[in-house]
Amino acid sequence: MVRKRKRGGESDAVTATVVVMALYITDSGPNSVRAVANLEAICQQHLKGNYRLEIIDVLQYPLRALAAGIVVTPSLAKLSPLPIATVVGNLSDKSGVLRALGIVDSAT
Amino acid sequence: MNSAHPQLNPVPSGSGIERDFQKAILRLVKGGPERQAIEAGQIDAIVDPASGNSILLPEAQRALIERKVGFRSLIGLAFDWYWEQDACYRFVSHRGATDDADGMAEEGIIGKALWDLSIDNMSEVDWRTHRQQLEWRVIFRDLEIRRVDRAGKTRYLSISGEPIFDDRNHFKGYRGITRDITERKQAEALVQQPHRFDRAVIDALGASIVVLDHAGFVLSVNQAWRDFATNHAGVGTCVAVGANYLGACDAACGTEQVDGMAIAAGIRQVIGGERALFRYDYACDSPTGRTWWALSVSRMVENGNASAAVFCEDITERKRAELLLRLEFAVARCLADAATTASALQSVIRVICETQGWDCGRYFSLDRSAGVLRFDGSWGVPAAVVEEFLEKSRGMVFRPGAGLAGRVCESGQPLWIVDGTRGAAVSQMALAPETGEHGACVFPVTADEKVIGVLAFSAGHVAEPDDRMLQAVRSIGSQLGGFLLRQRSVEALQRSEMRFRTLNDLTSDWYWEQDSNFRFTQVVGCSAFGTAAILGKTHWELPNVIVTDEGWAEHKAQLAARWSFCDFEFAIADSDGKHAYYSVCGEPVYDDADTFTGYCGTGVDITKRKRAEIALRESEARLRAPAAPSTGRSIRW
Repeated sequence: MVRKRKRGGESDAVTATVVVMALYITDSGPNSVRAVANLEAICQQHLKGNYRLEIIDVLQYPLRALAAGIVVTPSLAKLSPLPIATVVGNLSDKSGVLRALGIVDSAT
Repeated sequence: MNSAHPQLNPVPSGSGIERDFQKAILRLVKGGPERQAIEAGQIDAIVDPASGNSILLPEAQRALIERKVGFRSLIGLAFDWYWEQDACYRFVSHRGATDDADGMAEEGIIGKALWDLSIDNMSEVDWRTHRQQLEWRVIFRDLEIRRVDRAGKTRYLSISGEPIFDDRNHFKGYRGITRDITERKQAEALVQQPHRFDRAVIDALGASIVVLDHAGFVLSVNQAWRDFATNHAGVGTCVAVGANYLGACDAACGTEQVDGMAIAAGIRQVIGGERALFRYDYACDSPTGRTWWALSVSRMVENGNASAAVFCEDITERKRAELLLRLEFAVARCLADAATTASALQSVIRVICETQGWDCGRYFSLDRSAGVLRFDGSWGVPAAVVEEFLEKSRGMVFRPGAGLAGRVCESGQPLWIVDGTRGAAVSQMALAPETGEHGACVFPVTADEKVIGVLAFSAGHVAEPDDRMLQAVRSIGSQLGGFLLRQRSVEALQRSEMRFRTLNDLTSDWYWEQDSNFRFTQVVGCSAFGTAAILGKTHWELPNVIVTDEGWAEHKAQLAARWSFCDFEFAIADSDGKHAYYSVCGEPVYDDADTFTGYCGTGVDITKRKRAEIALRESEARLRAPAAPSTGRSIRW
């Protein structure tokens, strides 16, 4: 399963930095499902549409996981902007995810 | 193991084996965050860095198994069988989602195409369409088939399928599902059974029926209405379900405007409750000619809403019969009123033309002595073309068997040319100069079952005759023939009388009639007596008539015996004592009941002859006896 999501209008992209991410999951594994839901919530709240997310099922595309050096699923890889960062687990640690994505949480 | 599939090796949850498995997994993972995540239970699978295969952790594995079972369960709810076909559309796989008996497997479905199975509701066209779909590689849904299973029960199956392609996008076959929809179809049939019956009854009715809502929109029509709308022009005939019938009536124009307005007003009155029933007869034009319809509108109320049911019944046959009967009466009246043959012919042709909408008609009389049909009379609408055509017809002669009139004369059967522009019976070249039109109706005029003439009518369009029309033309031909024959006899009699009178005038001086008592009732041309002096008197009562007693006795005996008498001679002495001599002839007259009504006869003045005879006799007497003295005149009657 590869799902690509692009949010936000072109006009917004001119001014805001677009975060490019890849989330590696295992079909409908419980943690994978949870990771997708957590990441969707974080993106909606903090990135306001300025992101591109690709969800890759390693059961269908194992070579993609090997190429990206993914060892466990679910794993979130932030590809852009640099630096590249990886978060493993079901992304329930919101602050850790925000840190990895380079987002400063105004609430904390 | 396929790299695209996880290693499904269920491990009992919470068991020692699971803990050992987790320890082994942890040994594979070198990174700290990964290990922490595994220990926190946030990982579903570990990717083998050598092969790329995923090793599912127990919890994820259980979740996937449960999901698969759940999916299969859901799939089982959606269809009854799953199947696959090869590139030749032959079934290569057919599995049931449940353990129910298959609707098709019992027949041995593998290796066969769908159309090889015993399916009884698909026609050749249906199969051709389905195969075309397959050839086009389209997804087909809910193909409903019907078949009888081994138990003899009818089963309905719904089949859906989609094409399968390999990695190189080559067509591999079809896969799809089959659902048993027998119960649903049976339920539908039960629900529709009464409705179907009602519908079949309504469709079987000969009357055209259309149901309108309160605004005049068509809610439903029956089969007769559809046929009527297809084959006829006229008010509201082109209105289909969903259209507004009242609007169509309101929009009628030309010759249909009056009918349209009347019908719309009647329907509105019925829907509005002003009247319970509205009836109206009107005409429509169809490719086969004019038709008549009796329209009746009834009020319907359903759930408080008023609507109307419009019935149209074809009364063309009845109407035509009425018109033809009226035509026959009109022809009879024309013949009764006609003073001459020419006026009778003209008025009959005219009334036929006006009733049938034909342009002109001509009568050709059969001249038996010459063996030809001669133009004898005509009538036409006041149009230059028609008048020219009729003018050209004057003097036209047909031999029996030649031309339309000749053919009818020979066969004695009516001839119809519905459209002279087509059909092999009469060529256009032959028809045009003869009729001047595309349509013609030619029928014989008969008397005593013999053809005595032919009536030929021409028109732009002549409708195909029905039995009643043929009967009417036979009747008219016979009426006219009888009239012409009688008229011919009357004219012959008149001519004969005229000749007789002429001859009578030449051979006699007067004509007389007596009643049964031998009294004069009529005297024409007699100069011997004044009419007033004769009428009411017997011959022997007349003054100055000189007849011997024997003569009177003999004459009266003849009259009493009702004998005819001839050359009864008498003399009348005038004031100067001179005699005038007359001779009368008479014969008894009887009425229809053979009762004696009197005498009639003629009289001749024979004075000159008698005086010459007397002079001759006197001269002879003088020659024989010159010395004998004359004793005076004596006359013996």
